[in-house]
Amino acid sequence: MAGIYVHIPFCKSKCTYCDFASYPDKLCFAESYMACVYREMAMRSPELEGMTFDTLYIGGGTPSVIDEKYIAMLVAAAKKHFKLAENAEITIEMNPGTVSAGKISLYEKCGINRFSVGLQSAIDSQLENIGRIHNLKDYLACAKLLKGKNFSADIMIGLKNQSIADIEYSIEVAASSGASHISMYALSPEDGTPIYTDYLNGELPDGDTVAEMYAAGVKRLCALGFERYEVSNFCKKGKQSRHNLNYWKRGNYIGFGVAASSCVNNVRMTNTFDLDEYFKCILSNHFAVVNSEEVDKDGQEEEYIMLALRTSAGIDLAEFASLFGSDFTKKYAEALQKTRGYIEVTDGFVKIKDEFLFVQNSIIVEYLRLRG
Amino acid sequence: MGKKSNIRNFCIIAHIDHGKSTLADRLMERTGQVSERDMEAQLLDSMDIERERGITIKLTPVRMFYKAKNGEEYEFNLIDTPGHVDFTYEVSRSLAACEGAILIVDASQGVEAQTLANVYLALENNLEILPVINKIDLPSARPDEVKTEIEEVIGLDASAAPLVSAKEGIGIDDVLEAIVSAFPPPQGDERAPLKALIFDSYYDNYKGVILFVRIKDGCVRAGDKIKTFRSDKVYEVVETGVFSPNLQPKNGLFAGEVGYIAASIKSIQDVAVGDTVMNADNPAPEPLPGYKKVQSVVFCGIYPLDGSKFNDLKDAILKLQLNDASLIFEPDSSVALGFGFRCGFLGLLHMEIMQERIEREFGLEIITTAPSVSYKVIKTDGEEIFVDNPSHLPPVSEIEHMEEPIVKADIYSPPDYLGQIMDLCREKRGTFLGMTYLDKSRVQLEYNLPLNEIIFDFFDQIKSRTRGYASFDYELIGYERSKLVKLDIMLNGEVCDALSMIVHEDSAYTRGRTLCENLKEAIPRQLFEVPVQAAIGGKIIARETVKAVRKDVLAKCYGGDITRKKKLLEKQKEGKKRMRSIGSVEVPSEVFMQILKTNKD
Repeated sequence: MAGIYVHIPFCKSKCTYCDFASYPDKLCFAESYMACVYREMAMRSPELEGMTFDTLYIGGGTPSVIDEKYIAMLVAAAKKHFKLAENAEITIEMNPGTVSAGKISLYEKCGINRFSVGLQSAIDSQLENIGRIHNLKDYLACAKLLKGKNFSADIMIGLKNQSIADIEYSIEVAASSGASHISMYALSPEDGTPIYTDYLNGELPDGDTVAEMYAAGVKRLCALGFERYEVSNFCKKGKQSRHNLNYWKRGNYIGFGVAASSCVNNVRMTNTFDLDEYFKCILSNHFAVVNSEEVDKDGQEEEYIMLALRTSAGIDLAEFASLFGSDFTKKYAEALQKTRGYIEVTDGFVKIKDEFLFVQNSIIVEYLRLRG
Repeated sequence: MGKKSNIRNFCIIAHIDHGKSTLADRLMERTGQVSERDMEAQLLDSMDIERERGITIKLTPVRMFYKAKNGEEYEFNLIDTPGHVDFTYEVSRSLAACEGAILIVDASQGVEAQTLANVYLALENNLEILPVINKIDLPSARPDEVKTEIEEVIGLDASAAPLVSAKEGIGIDDVLEAIVSAFPPPQGDERAPLKALIFDSYYDNYKGVILFVRIKDGCVRAGDKIKTFRSDKVYEVVETGVFSPNLQPKNGLFAGEVGYIAASIKSIQDVAVGDTVMNADNPAPEPLPGYKKVQSVVFCGIYPLDGSKFNDLKDAILKLQLNDASLIFEPDSSVALGFGFRCGFLGLLHMEIMQERIEREFGLEIITTAPSVSYKVIKTDGEEIFVDNPSHLPPVSEIEHMEEPIVKADIYSPPDYLGQIMDLCREKRGTFLGMTYLDKSRVQLEYNLPLNEIIFDFFDQIKSRTRGYASFDYELIGYERSKLVKLDIMLNGEVCDALSMIVHEDSAYTRGRTLCENLKEAIPRQLFEVPVQAAIGGKIIARETVKAVRKDVLAKCYGGDITRKKKLLEKQKEGKKRMRSIGSVEVPSEVFMQILKTNKD
């Protein structure tokens, strides 16, 4: 498995929790930026010649905020420079406030077959609180345009004044509007974002409350026929995000654009977070990588475990043995013994029990080795 | 160098804050030992801790030359001494190396209890005492009254006592002249076999152990073969020298002089403070009288925070002991904390200082267990044992009764706080002995108090209840029968030995409850619910619960950026290194410190 990620760092306005590369005031640079992304792809193309890509993911920021023709050109550039599989999953992230029938139809025409919509909450006051530009009505209109298509909705847990009923309602809205995939994320207030102030002032629900709300959300999702396949991801049968699964399987992926990450043949790279620097690099025919690290065998094993334990399937023992040449249950017997109450070992898989996925860090660290 | 008759060896004794270090600095400055410009404030207090706390912990020797009014040049050897009650041992060591002692008395505060104790020590050592009245520049100075006080309380003739202000540099010359006339020159025979008293030592990475000595008889030079009385190991002297106040090499040390000997001594255990250095080829028939062995009063366990640093800790403690013979230790182990040491100290301040020195001078992070005192346990079979470590207490069925150490405490305070102090002493099981108005603004209260109450939080309490105005001294007076019990703390049903303590029956419940409450806050939530219980014998007296963790998860990987996540997990893993396991419960090492420190209500 291999995937391509493209980062579109533009937004109409910045949400109060947003901690990633996105520039609400630089939309005018969209054209030059996309030109750079196409060029970066061309530059990267020769070294990835033999690789077939199964997914393309256009994320952000808000990819739907820029002119749809650039998206069409982007997909075309990806197909031109890389070998995209016949049935490749091509996803675009959208903000419900920035879509139109025309946009969606062009997206589909160019090959996009999966949509990820940032619903976040079905309660307007909460959307306003976190600085979203859309309301419930916008979402419903967007979902109507996506009726019958393969789309996902994002829901956030841990917002100011959020109740269990609000979460259940948001899930109902997402499910009944036709989403076949729901990502439910617990908000993590990052230092430097406006919402961090709310957090410091104790206006956000505490960890225990979030855990309780999350558990209620999981319950409702399951009742509605969604299956949890990763700690924060739920879907109808067969509707997993193949792109994300590839991350958790430590597949290869190549990222383009500002702040994009890649992992190709065990080398992890990250592009610059600075838009100007990105322009400068690409325009002078240099890669914009600011961080590059080769992951050694031990590191690969560690990553594999930490990522696989996020998923409901868990660690595939046969795959582990073929990748790392050792018997997982023997090598990690001590950790398994220590975490026995929280782990399930069944027909070739080792996984964290569903009810403990939300406290997985405490469990995963038992499987990591101390360095230095 | 000069004649023995022109040497004066002396020390300075004073109550804390009466200006001992300042006067010493002035003497050095006036004799040209250091220029005013080069002088770091309080030269002799060379340890960071000493400067920060404004107290002297270690004795520090220094040599000065003074040209007296009679035209003769004199060699002065000053040995600075600590003033705090805990360091009496250090004081007695320096006294044995001197013929005279300057007694500093504050011109406004007069004679203090601690001053008295040191004066008696000096008299026991047959020292001449020269009273000096300091801080005469203060508006509240009352030198004449203080002179009378010295005569009445101590019985010393203070009529000729120099009146000085060390701070302002007034009267320093009078002191220098008085040193010449009041103190006798050292006795001793240069031609007799070498006898040198080791009054201190420290470890130098290049030169090995440096011995601070007072030559009583004979002489010692580089190249001489020396041994100590108690060990047969022979060393060759590499260097001899004096203190200026830094080490200054000088060829040969002679009877009456104070100086140092370096002889490439690597093994710290071979040279004990108090021992006598002799010439290996011509040993003196008998040693000098050594020092009284000190009695530790406060005990605690010291463990490395990082269990793998046990050997570093051992090394640190050995080196500190070389420099401070009053530190007593033996290897110890705890289920919760692993391998460490059980250490004995002369008092709470001594303990604190030692902990700080281990951390600062050796860069080690340590965990210390709750301070304990030494209890006398009378067993049912009549055997009498001393127990300072709660985990060594015999089973209840074998104990006939227990006795605890009692101190006599002198508390000084402005009269406004009498009520608060008396309340505190009552809470701490004190017995009121008496009260004296020293003057309008100062009252002296006398109490008998159990030592284990004092080491708990007495000092903090008295300071906070009197806004820092009260001060107190104490001395051990004996043992008294008491209702003592062993309080255990259990985490998830397992006894945590590092938190066990011996307490009085009446305070066991409060203590247990406070400990449980503090632990509940300090122990990080685990994957399961952890009951925190306090128990006496098998009986639970308090309980709190650390709830299970409910959220410990990293949000999504944006665009596949997992490096940050990896770092967070690695950090979490790193944190585990600092965890100690009590059964299945993981407790960060810091918790032990926190708990023992926040034991205040």
